Amino acid sequence: MEVGRLPISAAQKGKLISAGYTTLSSISSLSPTLLSRDLNISETDALEIIKHASLGGTMDDCSSSGAIIGAQTAWDVLHEEESATRITTSSVDLDHILGGGISCCEVTEIGGVPGIGKTQIGIQLAVNVQIPVHCGGLGGKAIYIDTEGSFMVERVLQIAQACAVEMSTSYASSHNSLPPSHILMQPEDILENIIYFRVCSYTEQIALVNYLDKFISEHREVKLVIIDSITFHFRQDFDDLALRTRLLGGMALKLMKLAKKFVLAVVLLNQVTTKYTEGSFQLSLALGDSWSHACTNRIILYWNCDERYAYIDKSPSLRSTSAPYAVTSSGIRNSVSKCQQILRTQAT
Amino acid sequence: MRPATLQVRPRLVTKLTSGCPTLDRHLAGGFPFGSITEISGESGVGKTQFCLQLALLTQLPPSLGGLSSSSLFLHSEFPFPSRRLHQIAQSFLAVHRDVFSSHPSYNPLDCVFVHPLHTADHLLDEMPRIESFIESSRASRLPVRLIVIDSIAALFRSEFDNTPFDLKRRSSIFFKISGWLKSLAVKFDLAVIVTNQVVDLVGPSGGANGLRIGNLGCLNSSGRRVSPALGLSWANCVNSRIFLSREEELLVDQATGPVHRSNGETSVHGARAIRRLHVIFSPHLPYSSCEFMIAREGIRGIER
Repeated sequence: MEVGRLPISAAQKGKLISAGYTTLSSISSLSPTLLSRDLNISETDALEIIKHASLGGTMDDCSSSGAIIGAQTAWDVLHEEESATRITTSSVDLDHILGGGISCCEVTEIGGVPGIGKTQIGIQLAVNVQIPVHCGGLGGKAIYIDTEGSFMVERVLQIAQACAVEMSTSYASSHNSLPPSHILMQPEDILENIIYFRVCSYTEQIALVNYLDKFISEHREVKLVIIDSITFHFRQDFDDLALRTRLLGGMALKLMKLAKKFVLAVVLLNQVTTKYTEGSFQLSLALGDSWSHACTNRIILYWNCDERYAYIDKSPSLRSTSAPYAVTSSGIRNSVSKCQQILRTQAT
Repeated sequence: MRPATLQVRPRLVTKLTSGCPTLDRHLAGGFPFGSITEISGESGVGKTQFCLQLALLTQLPPSLGGLSSSSLFLHSEFPFPSRRLHQIAQSFLAVHRDVFSSHPSYNPLDCVFVHPLHTADHLLDEMPRIESFIESSRASRLPVRLIVIDSIAALFRSEFDNTPFDLKRRSSIFFKISGWLKSLAVKFDLAVIVTNQVVDLVGPSGGANGLRIGNLGCLNSSGRRVSPALGLSWANCVNSRIFLSREEELLVDQATGPVHRSNGETSVHGARAIRRLHVIFSPHLPYSSCEFMIAREGIRGIER
């Protein structure tokens, strides 16, 4: 009950509910005289209640008795999750297994062998987060933290150009006219909205993650943080492995807090290593078992015959399925497998 | 260090030409600065030739695809092919005579700095000296903008056993070397080229044996299944990987055809080596492959 979240005394809450006011919007539009007459309270008290109601009763305002500070009901959480826009990956199959795309307020880890397309997915997401709201996107900026030097501007321009062309053609087909120039996204603007950091050591990486809180509070349009890759600087020789675990744990915590506080998506790209278990070698993501708890969702990219597949390894809400995808000159797209191609030629 | 200073404005990356327009087309302009490119292949396929050629090409002005700079050639395979370098330098001077006409006594070999490496620990020890050398060369007329390591695999030949402990120690040295090379590449805007050997893959594919890395399911050279040395860990350390393969093509005399002898052998006219360059993985290149040949002036691509 929204009224329950207002920072007012329990007696006043009871009066509001028995008078029939349950939602904040029903209160905030009232005049103080009307409310005071309805509830049999003084006009100053009524004015205060209306002021709190119009502020929206946000969690940050909670300062007194009543609900636990910061708590939400499960209904509210579900409503928030369902209404949140997800960042598309530009591949329908991949979006499908992700429940629509990469979700905000969560840390998603994507790992795979070299050459499978991790950086390509990172760049595609950094471009797609900028898709304007009226086209179904988030219209936000992206922060790209590069630890390996894989961010090639010419490739980003290529993907940005393809995205801009697709947006204008979809606008043209739905509105039956060419999009006006102020709505068109230019590839150069797309590049402008990717804030790029280059780190060359693990100390720089940790310092940057600590700095992100301040940076993003000054740049509220940021809706995506990508770190490519999270592991590179941590796989060097650490004399004290416990120190490494502590540093990684601290970094993971900060990133989770960032995601929740600023309602953005954090995507971490990871490398793979071989693990010798039960007499055979298996591929697993680097940084060990303790790191595997750091992220909300885990996606592993792998080769199957000649196709690239993504597999949801760990997720609280998504099923463990895999989907194929392809890396094309326009970026990440749906995979057209060979058997599909054969079926298509047979049908025509 | 303020984290705000870590923010950079990404700009188009300069490339070092490969010396041949056909190969440049497949490599989208050449080898990018600021990242590590690995050239792997079996022995004799042309890796060192390629590196020698690149060490000279970097002296060209930017209008011709170079960067008016010198190069540092770290070699771990002995002896260093100085005679072949001299030969390529002669052709290089002849082809680009007009560029160097203003300096008649110019010797391109003056701008190739060669340093031997014996083991991985030797490289780790030499790192500060190499860094200060590159720093001091910035003030000279042709600063060092290219580092070649030929080959990285030879550094790890002898000291590491096949035990999990040694392999783990070897892996962490990979990341240390690669991290240092990449930070140098960023700081001084260098191109780093590393050559790697290949190992044969024996037995069934799948599992740790023949793990697929990159665009090609299996890499073949001289009729054998091969894989670049140093495993998955080193593959994570490089930005791009190029594979040079070599296959024998039997030439049959068109007029007579193969001659079948009485002892069951088939004699052919001769054999020709076909060398191909494949892009295995790269953040900015799709898969492509191109045939090349080794000529007097170095590596040349062949458009078929």
